Amino acid sequence: MSTDLERRDLFKIAAGAAVAARLGVAQQAPRFFIPDEFSVIEELAEIIIPADDHSPGARAAGVTVYIDARLGESLEPEKKDAWRQGVQLVNQLSVTMNGQPFLKASPEQRTAVVERMAQNEAEPKSPEELFFRELKRATVHAYYTSKIGIHQEMEYKGNVLLNKFVGTELP
Amino acid sequence: MPDPTPKEVDLKQTYDAVVVGSGAAGGMAAHVLTSQGMKVLLLEAGKKLDIEKELKSLEWPYEHPRRGGLPPDSHALSRNEYTFRKPPYAKGLPNKHVYSYVEGWNGADYSKNIVVDEKDHPYTGTSYAWVRARCLGGKTNIWGRLALRLSDYDFKAASRDGFGEDWPISYADIAPYYDKVDLYLGIAGHKENLPYLPDSLFQRSTRLNPAEVQLREGLAKMDRVLTPYRAGVTTDGLKHNKYRSRCFGRGACDRRTGGCDIHAAFDSPTGLIYPAMDTGNLTLRTNSTVSEVLVDKNTGKARGVAFVDTQTGKSYEAKAKVVILGASTLESARLMLLSKSRFHPNGLGNSSGHVGHNFCEHIMGPSVTGIVKDLVGKPRTLDDGRPAGFYVARFRNLADKHPNFIRGYGFEGDSGTHMFPGHAAGTPGFGAAYKKRVRDEAGAFISMGAFGEVLARYENYVDIDPNVKDRWGIPVLRFHYQFGDNEKKMAADMADTAREMFEASGIEVIGVDREILTEGWSIHELGTARMGADPKKSVLNQFQQSHDVPNLLVVDGSSHVSASCQNPTWTIMALAWRSCDHLAEQMRKGEV
Repeated sequence: MSTDLERRDLFKIAAGAAVAARLGVAQQAPRFFIPDEFSVIEELAEIIIPADDHSPGARAAGVTVYIDARLGESLEPEKKDAWRQGVQLVNQLSVTMNGQPFLKASPEQRTAVVERMAQNEAEPKSPEELFFRELKRATVHAYYTSKIGIHQEMEYKGNVLLNKFVGTELP
Repeated sequence: MPDPTPKEVDLKQTYDAVVVGSGAAGGMAAHVLTSQGMKVLLLEAGKKLDIEKELKSLEWPYEHPRRGGLPPDSHALSRNEYTFRKPPYAKGLPNKHVYSYVEGWNGADYSKNIVVDEKDHPYTGTSYAWVRARCLGGKTNIWGRLALRLSDYDFKAASRDGFGEDWPISYADIAPYYDKVDLYLGIAGHKENLPYLPDSLFQRSTRLNPAEVQLREGLAKMDRVLTPYRAGVTTDGLKHNKYRSRCFGRGACDRRTGGCDIHAAFDSPTGLIYPAMDTGNLTLRTNSTVSEVLVDKNTGKARGVAFVDTQTGKSYEAKAKVVILGASTLESARLMLLSKSRFHPNGLGNSSGHVGHNFCEHIMGPSVTGIVKDLVGKPRTLDDGRPAGFYVARFRNLADKHPNFIRGYGFEGDSGTHMFPGHAAGTPGFGAAYKKRVRDEAGAFISMGAFGEVLARYENYVDIDPNVKDRWGIPVLRFHYQFGDNEKKMAADMADTAREMFEASGIEVIGVDREILTEGWSIHELGTARMGADPKKSVLNQFQQSHDVPNLLVVDGSSHVSASCQNPTWTIMALAWRSCDHLAEQMRKGEV
């Protein structure tokens, strides 16, 4: 009885996973950001988690698509305002530091802007420092819950059917 | 295995027993009584969920539109809200649904139908993070699964240190029932032969990963014990239960709020209720919120319960020879206090005035996080696929006496890689170096948090709020509950010893949290209808039978005399089994 049940359970579990895998993740047009805002956030996210020789970065993982979709359906006006103002803060900071808006600045200049925003990460005080914290939190969440983040970057081995737990025997 | 077909509910019939609540306590009462031929009506306030469709435990975060998160019209209460606001916490919030803090954890969307909507279920009084599940099986659908025994260090604690009351039982009385629970439901663990944390009849233990073994070895030198998490999970399978599968180590256990959709982890529906339905002796009615225990006008004995159908709003009565409350520590107390009559002017079974009092639980908050430098940059391993990590047994006030506080505490913790790198948000910086550091350090962290005994004090209590009612018009509970001096001093010691143990084990400490979490955070509320030999100082006898009303039993955590520091579910079930065995014997003899 027990063996039989296990087989059926295994089948059910495997079938559920297969159905879910076919659904995939749909790409869509921005819902909250206007295109320029979207591009600024996408560039910021890629600077925080860039592509490297190990795995693709935030852009490929669709981090900004995910953030945009959440803000698009959010019922918290303050949160939405904070992101919109955040983009403005980044552009203002870039104009002050580099003489031009963020997307017009060189890659080095953009990184310098993010460095300035991140300088008091442990205890952010200025509006742009506070925005960096929210930006990083959202980027980290979206990236490490994405397909690329879980499988390619972190090479996560779990969420599979095992016959036994692989670990260390007690001495 | 499909769920069993329910029996027709017949409210004209007088059942042998009506059981209120279908969690660990009510489920166990239903199992024990129906297995002895009693006709039982089980009433559950919530609905029966198609739990596999709820939990979907193998779904990847990116397959869910919000990566497992709640819809935008829902809100989970935060730690700050519990601290800076007073209940009812949902009052005035614009969100359509408000949930307790557990719905702020990852995968909240999978458990939102298991826990209650705070908007429908208010309470008042002092700060308290009250987590409730209203559905078939209650909180057993999402419990943490740590299954521990109590010992005579707990049952006779008052004799040891002079505080409070001893339990009216000793370990020898309950040990055979712990054994029954172990064998019937399955428990994974490792034998340690500790008199203060007795072993169960264990199935195959889950294993420790390298950082955990390092800590275990470090603690052994201090005469302290780290043991693999004693999980109420069947790792070898249960031949007598066709509704449950053995553990396949799939890894979704890491998702909090938890839930096991192959039922390797114990839950009341598949572990207790469905097998009870298969006896032909159990009738189940869900969506049935009991509002009062009814008593006979002439004798004052219980004659049944009044309940509201939560879908239609209609009121009904159910008749039974015995009424058994297993609605949870606080809900059972609420029901007793609501059930006032000529015979029982202070509430049913409350001639002692102790119903709602001696309210206790576990204090939480102090914790430590460390990193094992040797594990940084190592190839990825599979460390999930187990119910949880480890448990550090109590070590305070066993042989020695601590100068600052009485009683003890234990730690729960774990190490290894998880699906989501929890350290990423807190790792400073950005860019390629940041990304590599997050990758390299994943799997090298180890952390643990304490659970300590809150003393059962008369002045910590709940009563009925005279003004506020829930969605079904039933008056709600009002809290008068705060941690005391002993708890605060114990918490300070928890943080100190957590650091000391990591350092002694060669683990670099990267953070110690000393802050106490809001009252209620442990979800281990206990004590509001305690057992005892003296009817003036207790509500129930040693068989969880009301001193005042012999055909009323309260078989949940409200009967516990003290909180101990061990998680209560296994003790709740062992006690309920013992009491219902005794009740069945009394009923056969015609004594009840």
